[in-house]
Amino acid sequence: MTAGILLLVSGLVFLSGSALLAFYWAVRDGQFNNLSESAKTIFDADEPVGTPTDRFPSNTRP
Amino acid sequence: MKSQSLISSLNPANEPDSLDSFERAEIDASTKLPVLLFFGSAIFWLLVGSVLGLVSAWKMTHPGLLDGEAWLTFGRLRPAHLNTVIYGWASAAGIGVGIWLTARLCRVVLMHSKLLIAAAIFWNLGVFVGILGILAGDSRSIEWLEFPGYATPILFVSYAFIGIWTIIMFRYRRPGHVYVSQWYLFAAFLWFPWLYATANILLTWQPIQGSAQAAVNWWFAHNVLGLWFAPIGLASAYYMIPKVIGRPVHSYYLSILGFWSLALFYSWNGMHHLIGGPFPAWMVSASVVASIMMFIPVVTVAINHHMTMRGHFGALKWSPTLRFTVFGAMTYTLVSLQGSSMAIPSWNTFIHFTDHTIGHAHLGLYGFFTMIMFGAIYYIVPRLVGWEWPSANMIRWHFWLSAVGISIMVIALTIGGILQGFAFYDPTVSFRSSLDYATPFRIVRGLSGFLLLGGHIVFAVLFTQMVLRIGQIKEGPALFAKPSESQKEGVAV
Repeated sequence: MTAGILLLVSGLVFLSGSALLAFYWAVRDGQFNNLSESAKTIFDADEPVGTPTDRFPSNTRP
Repeated sequence: MKSQSLISSLNPANEPDSLDSFERAEIDASTKLPVLLFFGSAIFWLLVGSVLGLVSAWKMTHPGLLDGEAWLTFGRLRPAHLNTVIYGWASAAGIGVGIWLTARLCRVVLMHSKLLIAAAIFWNLGVFVGILGILAGDSRSIEWLEFPGYATPILFVSYAFIGIWTIIMFRYRRPGHVYVSQWYLFAAFLWFPWLYATANILLTWQPIQGSAQAAVNWWFAHNVLGLWFAPIGLASAYYMIPKVIGRPVHSYYLSILGFWSLALFYSWNGMHHLIGGPFPAWMVSASVVASIMMFIPVVTVAINHHMTMRGHFGALKWSPTLRFTVFGAMTYTLVSLQGSSMAIPSWNTFIHFTDHTIGHAHLGLYGFFTMIMFGAIYYIVPRLVGWEWPSANMIRWHFWLSAVGISIMVIALTIGGILQGFAFYDPTVSFRSSLDYATPFRIVRGLSGFLLLGGHIVFAVLFTQMVLRIGQIKEGPALFAKPSESQKEGVAV
């Protein structure tokens, strides 16, 4: 019982701990330096901001 | 990118050569085989799981239905339903979406697709063996881990392959910002194999004793939602919503805050299933606190998606992906706040062990996760096969059957569950008569299952037509299509 709970709690600490480590890396790496630009990384010259990219198929030409 | 061996990809001494630049279409095309394998098998299991669920649901009100055969009893069909939809459908669909997103977000063509194809084969083998095991009577009677001990290692191999692949892709990514969806996928693909292995070791190979088993069980079962399904679903929503309407996330800061608070709090949530159980009170209390803390990540996601969508709700009319994804994202807020409230001990007293919990589970796994997966598949598949979805009306049918079906199911189970809970609590009502309160709602739930099954059949037909490229040629695959001026008018900028 005690050993099991000990293992479980160490599991919880491991999960949260690895999150903290990853967070530390992200801060050091400068991942959070420019948040407003970062949000735009999924857009590019081909599919720029302002271009919708999905719609229902239809037979009629737009 | 040069093809290289798995070993050299993993060797830390090798400098990643990540500066090649790729066209988006090239990246999409590179993911075709593994992603379609995962999607195709997922949809097959979705149909199997829907039938198993439907039969189980009707057995609740008509116990004589299909009796006589051991493998058709409720005790086997119901866990078979749960595991088919969890591992066969939802996880496989999530892995498919995750693979496609990872390649796009790392901005490199998919490497080591053989590893992923092997993962897909192991995955389906594991699910197949597991379901047969349950129907044959080898269910382990541990909720969410009913697969017998000879099936779980097969699934673990698959998880491990995907984890290794994720790390390789991240190493060889093109430099730049790590988008929030990528963080969510890391949480899912790197934590979950570890979680799955731990739970299986502690419950099957080296079982711990006594009530600690219950702790491990619920720690795992809740983390399946929090560290596997929720991150994959949110990764997809955080990519699809901005991408479809062509507008960056409202507050990127909030999205980051939401991810890190989820990463810190969620793994503590599981013990709230054991409120009132023979269990150290401090562990339950810590879990209740963490459950309430979940308000932070949930509210940040809710505000963010709503504000991104603001002024663009007209887009729901013309984008199938957005329709499903926004339905799922709104349900995420609802189901999470409901979940936090269910962890409050005084309320938990009434609803524990009632149909209310079943309603909550379906709201989360169907209303939130499955709907987001449908949305993502509608976006991804045309870009893989270079073919347009054959029928807009069929997509509409799929959406409304699923949306109405799940709404009816959850409302019926929630009301029925609450009535049942108050009856449980009333010493003048016998257990037998407390069930009568739930019966009419269970019949409604059974009927709603037909709607869902109908939606899934429509979806399966559409998907088959896409893969086989059946149907008349449309004006061009969705990836090349732009909404017309009249369609854009509904969309304020």
